[in-house]
Amino acid sequence: MDDTSMVGLMGRVTGTVGPGLVGEVIVRVRGGAEHFLAYAASGSERIERGTMVTVVEYLPPRTVYVSAMYGS
Amino acid sequence: MPMEVGFIVGAAVGAVLVLIGAFKLMWRVAEPNEALIISGSKHKLEGLEEGMGFRIVTGRGTLVTPGMQAVRKLSLDLNQTELHVDCVTHQGIPLKVRGVVIFKVGDDFVSIANAARRFLDQQKLMAERVHTVFAGHLRAIVGGLTVEDMIRDREKLTGQARAACGTEMEKLGLIVDSLQIHEIEDPTGYIKNLSAPHLAAVRRDARIAQAEADRLATEAEQLAFGRMAEATRDSEILKAGYQAEQDKANAKARQAGPLADAAARQEVVVQETRVAELEAQRREQQLQADVRKPADAKAYEKRTLAEAERDARISAAEAKATETRSAGEAEAAATQAKGLAKAEANRAQGLAEADAIKARAAALAENQEAVVAQQLAEKWPEIVQAGASAFGNVDNMVVLNGADGVADMLAKALTMGGTGLGLARQLLASMNQNGQGANGTSALNGVAAPPSQKVPVEEK
Repeated sequence: MDDTSMVGLMGRVTGTVGPGLVGEVIVRVRGGAEHFLAYAASGSERIERGTMVTVVEYLPPRTVYVSAMYGS
Repeated sequence: MPMEVGFIVGAAVGAVLVLIGAFKLMWRVAEPNEALIISGSKHKLEGLEEGMGFRIVTGRGTLVTPGMQAVRKLSLDLNQTELHVDCVTHQGIPLKVRGVVIFKVGDDFVSIANAARRFLDQQKLMAERVHTVFAGHLRAIVGGLTVEDMIRDREKLTGQARAACGTEMEKLGLIVDSLQIHEIEDPTGYIKNLSAPHLAAVRRDARIAQAEADRLATEAEQLAFGRMAEATRDSEILKAGYQAEQDKANAKARQAGPLADAAARQEVVVQETRVAELEAQRREQQLQADVRKPADAKAYEKRTLAEAERDARISAAEAKATETRSAGEAEAAATQAKGLAKAEANRAQGLAEADAIKARAAALAENQEAVVAQQLAEKWPEIVQAGASAFGNVDNMVVLNGADGVADMLAKALTMGGTGLGLARQLLASMNQNGQGANGTSALNGVAAPPSQKVPVEEK
């Protein structure tokens, strides 16, 4: 249960991520699924709902930076 | 001996029980929905940096030294808090919003540590605190939305909620699972008005559909009525036709008897007529034989007799005519002879008279008055006769003043003769002046002249 375990996990966007928006991703972690506030790893990226993302950075307690998994 | 054994066993059991009790005191297990916060001793920290000062155990058991360490439980259960907030929307419309926030303590150790530091003794008051925080945030959230968004766009609502209070809740170690707006009180009637056009459209459509359905139903009904009426009519017509046939047959049946009677009677009458005709013929012939032939014979007889008589009369008349003509001729010859003689005599007389007139004219030239008076005196009876002759032609004379009237009239007529005397005088006077030609002027006094002219000529 350390911090680094979050990085690299797959997640799904449940609230649009983008500049000026506070997004939301749901990630499988600790045997369940939890949602985290999400921001785009590259500042200008906009990720729509339902897109699969990879957690690039974890900022405890509940913030992650994500980038779209299969290109953008 | 057995006493000792029993004691030892009892002691052992007791020791075991004590041991179990001690273990029970020292061993704590975290349930799935809670986190154990253990503080009090320097202990192995699981993945947490130095300085946190307490240990967090979730989902498993751990050994706690009673008296040395304090163990507290932090519930990870879901909590909810009701919100009643007066807000103003993005468009500036005031609303009263009732919502609910569902939140829990985050499952990661950072969140648990944050929450433990803030709420460990105030877990019962957590909802109240969150309410206080959210009452303010909800204003921000609603302020970022329009009424339409709030009603329809959940995505925007949750987005706004995250933007407004996501990081804030991170600080508290809480995560917001759900923010829902239950009820929006709308004192200005904006929402009602918003729905009015749609409502009207829906009502219109409903009415149209209803009317259409009614129309179709009515059409179908009327069609059905029409069919029913048609069927009824057809059946009535058929019934009437059958009834008519039946009646006809009945009437025919009823008439059959009288008809046969009538036919029979007609036959009788025909035969009787024939008999009568024959009788009439017979009588006519009889009459011809009895009456006409004798009458013809009689007539022929009479006619023949009459013709004979007529012939006889004609012969007689012809004979008489011949006789009369002969007599007439003889008489005419006689009369002619007589006339010739008389003419001769008259001529002689005329000549003599002419001489006399000549003589008289000579005398007249000498004394007019005397001659005329004498002449008038000589002719007075003829004058009176001529005046009276005016009444001779009157068949019926009604005289209104009686016998005196008649005398009057006669007197007048004779006076006319008297006036003739004066007239004659004048005539003679004019003759004296103009010599011959007095006859031409007499027309001027035509009324009185005729008696005086006619009288002298009519002399026999």
